Amino acid sequence: MTTAPERAIEQRDALGEPSDPYPQGQVGRPVLRYGGGDRTSGAQRFVADLRFPGSLQVALVTVPVGCADVLGIDATAARAVPGVVDVVTAADLPSPMPRFGVSHTDRPVLADGRVNYHGEPVAAVVAETLDAAQVAARAVRVDFRELPGVYTLDDALAPGAHRVQDPSLRPGHALADSNVLEEAHYTWGDVEAEEARTEVVVEETYTFPMVTHFPIEPGGTVAVPTDAGGLDVYSPVQHPYLLQRTLASVLGLPLNQVRVFAPDPGGGFGGKQNPKLEPLLAFLALRTRRTCRLVLSLEETFQSMRRAGCRIAARTGFAADGALTFHSVDADFLIGAYADVAPRVMGKGSYVAAGPYRIPGVRIDARAVMTNTTPSTAFRGFGSPQVSWALESQLDAGARRLGLDGLEVRRRNLVAKGEAFVRGESAAAADGEWHQSLEKAAELIGWGTPLPPGRGRGIAVGIKPGATSGLSQSLVRLLADGSAIVYAGTSDMGQGARTLWQQIVADELGAPLDQVSVVSGDTGTVPFDLQTSASRSTVFMGSAVLEACKDVRQRVLALYAESTGVPPEQLEERPGVLVTPDGELGLPEAARVALGSLRGEFMGQGTRRLRGKGKHPLGGDAAFYEFNATAIEVEVDRETGELLLTRHVTVSDVGTELNPLQVVSQDEGAAIMGLGHSQMEQLLLDEHGRIRNLGALDYRIPTFKDVPVELVSAAVENHDGPGPYGSKGISEGALLCTAGALGAAVADAAGVVIRDLPLTPERVWAAIQAAEAAEQDAGSAEGPARHHPHRSPVTEE
Amino acid sequence: MTEYHRPTSRADALAALAAGGPRARPLVGGTDLLVGLRHHHDAVDAFVDLKGVTDLPEPVVVTDDAVRIGPTFTMGELVGHPVVRAWFPALVEAALTVGSVAIRNRASLIGNSCNASPAADTAPPLLVHGARVTITSLDGDRTASLDEFFLGPRRTLCGPGELVTRLDLPRPAPGSGSAFRRLTRRRGVDLATVSVAARVGPDGGLVVGMGAVGPRPLRTEVPGPVDLTDDTSLDRALDELLAVATPITDVRGSREYRLATLRVLTKRAVLAAADRRDPREMAS
Repeated sequence: MTTAPERAIEQRDALGEPSDPYPQGQVGRPVLRYGGGDRTSGAQRFVADLRFPGSLQVALVTVPVGCADVLGIDATAARAVPGVVDVVTAADLPSPMPRFGVSHTDRPVLADGRVNYHGEPVAAVVAETLDAAQVAARAVRVDFRELPGVYTLDDALAPGAHRVQDPSLRPGHALADSNVLEEAHYTWGDVEAEEARTEVVVEETYTFPMVTHFPIEPGGTVAVPTDAGGLDVYSPVQHPYLLQRTLASVLGLPLNQVRVFAPDPGGGFGGKQNPKLEPLLAFLALRTRRTCRLVLSLEETFQSMRRAGCRIAARTGFAADGALTFHSVDADFLIGAYADVAPRVMGKGSYVAAGPYRIPGVRIDARAVMTNTTPSTAFRGFGSPQVSWALESQLDAGARRLGLDGLEVRRRNLVAKGEAFVRGESAAAADGEWHQSLEKAAELIGWGTPLPPGRGRGIAVGIKPGATSGLSQSLVRLLADGSAIVYAGTSDMGQGARTLWQQIVADELGAPLDQVSVVSGDTGTVPFDLQTSASRSTVFMGSAVLEACKDVRQRVLALYAESTGVPPEQLEERPGVLVTPDGELGLPEAARVALGSLRGEFMGQGTRRLRGKGKHPLGGDAAFYEFNATAIEVEVDRETGELLLTRHVTVSDVGTELNPLQVVSQDEGAAIMGLGHSQMEQLLLDEHGRIRNLGALDYRIPTFKDVPVELVSAAVENHDGPGPYGSKGISEGALLCTAGALGAAVADAAGVVIRDLPLTPERVWAAIQAAEAAEQDAGSAEGPARHHPHRSPVTEE
Repeated sequence: MTEYHRPTSRADALAALAAGGPRARPLVGGTDLLVGLRHHHDAVDAFVDLKGVTDLPEPVVVTDDAVRIGPTFTMGELVGHPVVRAWFPALVEAALTVGSVAIRNRASLIGNSCNASPAADTAPPLLVHGARVTITSLDGDRTASLDEFFLGPRRTLCGPGELVTRLDLPRPAPGSGSAFRRLTRRRGVDLATVSVAARVGPDGGLVVGMGAVGPRPLRTEVPGPVDLTDDTSLDRALDELLAVATPITDVRGSREYRLATLRVLTKRAVLAAADRRDPREMAS
C-alpha cells in the first residue's frame, strides 16, 4: 500500500519531473513534515491550547453597524457582573489615542469615538472567567449614532461621500480629503499609437469579491506583564519581530522588554502578518498587572482580515495574429477602514496588471479606496489574483474574437526568459522558462483533445512578484554529539518551513535528519527575521540557514586544524564533510575530534539581506517571480448552474523542489483555495455594513468534496532560482490564475462569459438563462430557435 | 445559570421538562441546540439530556409494516441501517447530506425534525414517506402526521413539557419508489438552497416534499397515474405540485433561482423515484 503523499510523488515522478540534486541527501526528498505528526493528531498546541493559570479573560464590545459615532459608553451593569475586573474604553487609554499600522499609522488601539467598520471594538471587558467577560460585554451599553458609512466602491467614490479616514491623519496629502488612500500609475509605450495597428479591441469590466482568509485556527493573543515592567506576548503571528517592534513603539518600551512568543499559526495566508488586537491586549495587561487572554471566534476573525475586493475596467488591443498591442487598466481596490498593508497590495498587484506578456503599450492606473469595512490586508497572491482575473479573461475574449484558442493566444504573447514584461523606468524581466509551464499544463489537461458535450476547458497563467527587500538571520548550533539546533524566525503556519531547515542542515552538516531540531516563534531566543510573507522564506531564511551551516563548517575546520595540527590549508570543508589529508571525515566526527575532551559546540550564523531600491515603486526588484499555469476542465449543469470540475492542472515554475511533497501540498492547497474565490467565496454586506454571511454557516470555502475529480500538480525545475540549490518561492502560484482558467472553461462549456466572481451556481444559471433568452429572441426574429448548447456562439454577458 | 439534567427514566425526563417550562429543552446530539446557544440564538434554562434515559422507545424497531424510530436514533445509524436503506432510499440520501460524518454520528433524526428548520434535509423524505410522530407529556401521548407537526420556522406541535418519543415510518407499498435531490452552494457540508424528495406510488401518483422553499417543509401530492413519459402531463403535474412553494431571497439564493431549480430538481427526483419502482409490483 502506498500513502497519499507517496502517490503524489509517484504521480510526479511519472510525469518525468524531479531531478534529485542530492541523491544521497535529504534535500530534494519528500521528507515528511517536521512536527506533522503532532499537527495531525491534535497534540500540537496552538495559542488557544496554551494554559495560563490565573489569567484574565477578555471579551470585546462592538456596535451593530459599520460606521457610527460613539456618544457614550455605560459600563455600570457590566461592572456589576461578578468576576469582572475592568471595562476599558478609549477614555482609559493614553490621549491622544495610540495608533499603529504598517503603511500608515492610522489604526487606533480601541475605537476612538468613531466606529469605522463592523466589529471594531469600542471597549474591552476583562474578567476572571470567559463567561463573566462575555456576559458583561453584552451588558455594556453603547450609545451610538449611525453614520452614512461607505461600503462599496461607488459609495466611497461618490461626490460628498462620507470620509472613512479623518483628513488630519494625512496632513498635506493631495488625496487626504477623499476616500482614495493611495494611487499607483505604471505606463510604457504609446497606447494610442498601438491602437492604430490593432485589429480587435476588447473593453470590459471585471469584479473580484471581498473574501476572508478563513484560517482554521482563528487565533488570539495572551499578554503577560513581566516583573521588569515589560511584556511577554503570545500571538500566532506571521511576523513576530514586527509585532515586537509595534508593541515596543506603542508602549514606549525598549525591544528587549517586549518578548513575542509566536506559537505556530494554524493557517495564516497573510491574514496573521500584521498587528491587530495585540496592542489592546498589551495595554490591558499593563493596566491590570495580570495576564490577559483573548481567543478569537471565527466570526471575529472574519472581522479582522480579508482580501481587497477589486473592480477592473480593462481595454485591450490585439493584432490580427493575436499579438497584444496595448492594455489599458483602471483598477480600484476596495480596501477597508484602516490601511494595514492594503496600499502595497494595490501597488504590487497593479504592477503586474499587464501580466507576463509582451505588450508594447500599457497604461495602469490603480487606486486603493477606503470603505467602512474590515481592513483588508495581505492574502496569498497579494493583489495578483484580482488583476489576473481581468487580464486572463481579456485574453480569452480577444482570442474568441480572433478565432484563436486560449493556449495559442498565450503562446504568442508570453515573454521568453530574460525578456521584459514590465517596461519603462522600473522594468522587470522573466526570470524563468515560463513557456515550459504553459506547455506542461496544456499537455496534462489534454488540450485540443475532443470533449463530450457540456464540458469545456480553459487555460490561464499568472505571475506574482516575490519579496522586494528582506532580511533573515539564522543561527545554527552543531552540538558535540553531531546533533544540531537551528534557530530560524520563520513562522511555520502549515507551509512546512521547519522541514526545509531540517533538510538543509542535515545535508550541510551531515547530521541525521531526526537529530536536527528547529527553534522558532520566540523573539527572545531566535535571531531577527523580517517577515514570513511573499513566499520568501525558502529563498531568504533558507539562504541564511545555508550560510550559517557554512559558517559552522569553517569553524569546525579551524578548530580541527588547531586541535590536530593539520595545517588549515590542507583541509577543506564541503557539505556534510571535512576533507583531510587522510580522506573525508563526516562533519560530526570532525567536530568531535576538534572539540576534544572539553566538548562544547559550534555556532554558525547566516544572514540574507536584500536591500530595496528607494525609487522603485515596489521598493525594489522582486527577488524572484512566482509563475503558474493552470488548466481546468469543467462540466456545467445548464439547468442548475452547478459546476463539476473534472480535471484541474496546475504547473509552477519552482526553480528546484527542495521537498517535492511540500511543493505538491502548497500547489494543491493554493489551487483549492483559488477555487474558493473562483466558485463560492464572497463576503456579503447589508446596508449597515454588516457581514451578512458572518461565519462558517453561510460563508463557504471548498471542502474535500469540492476538490476537482482529478487535481494534478506539476513543477518545472530549471534550478534557476535565487534560493538554496536554485529554489524559488512557491506558495502562492497555484491560486493566481485559477479564476481565469475556470472562467474560460465555463465559457467553453456553456457558451457564457461571466465577469463577476465567484462563479456561483446561481450566477452561472442566470448567465445561461440570459443567453438562452437572447438566443430565443434572435431565433424568433430570424426563424426557428436553434439550441446547440455546446456549439452556440459564446455570449458575452 | 443553565441547568443540566441527565434523567434515567422517561418520567423524570418529562418532569424535568415540565418543571423547566418553555426554556427547558430536550438534548440528544446537540448539533443544532449547542450551535444556537453559542451564537445566542437560543436561550436555554435547562437541558434535559435523553441519552441516559433507559425506558424510551428503542432507537429503531422494524415490524412487518413499519420502522419505528426512537429519540436517540442518529443519522449515522440511520444511513447504515439495512431496512431503512431498502425501504426509504430518499431518506438515506437526505440523511447522507446532513453535515459531516462527525455531525451525523451525533445528530438524531427526531431532534432534526423537532428543530423544524424549513431547510431540514430529512424533512422532505419523511414527509413523502408519511411519517407520524408521537408526542408525549406527563398527560399522556398524542400522535400527529409530520405534515401537521411542522407549524412554521422552528415551530412544531411539540410544546413546553412535551417530548417526541417516536417517529413511525410506514413501509412503502410495493411498486413505489423514492428519491431525494438537493441544491447547495458547494458539494460538501452545506445547507440546502433547495431540497426535494419525491415518491411515486404504485398507482403512479406523485408525492413531493420540499425544503427551503417556504416557512416550513412542504408536502404536496397529485393522484395517479401521471404519465412520466409525456412532457405535457409531467409539466402539468409539476405545476400542481410546486404551486405551494413560496421561496424567499436570502444569502443562499434568490426566489427566482429557487423556483427555477425546485422545478428542475423535482423533475429529476420524480424520474429517479420512478426508476426505483419494482416493475413487477407496479399498478400502473
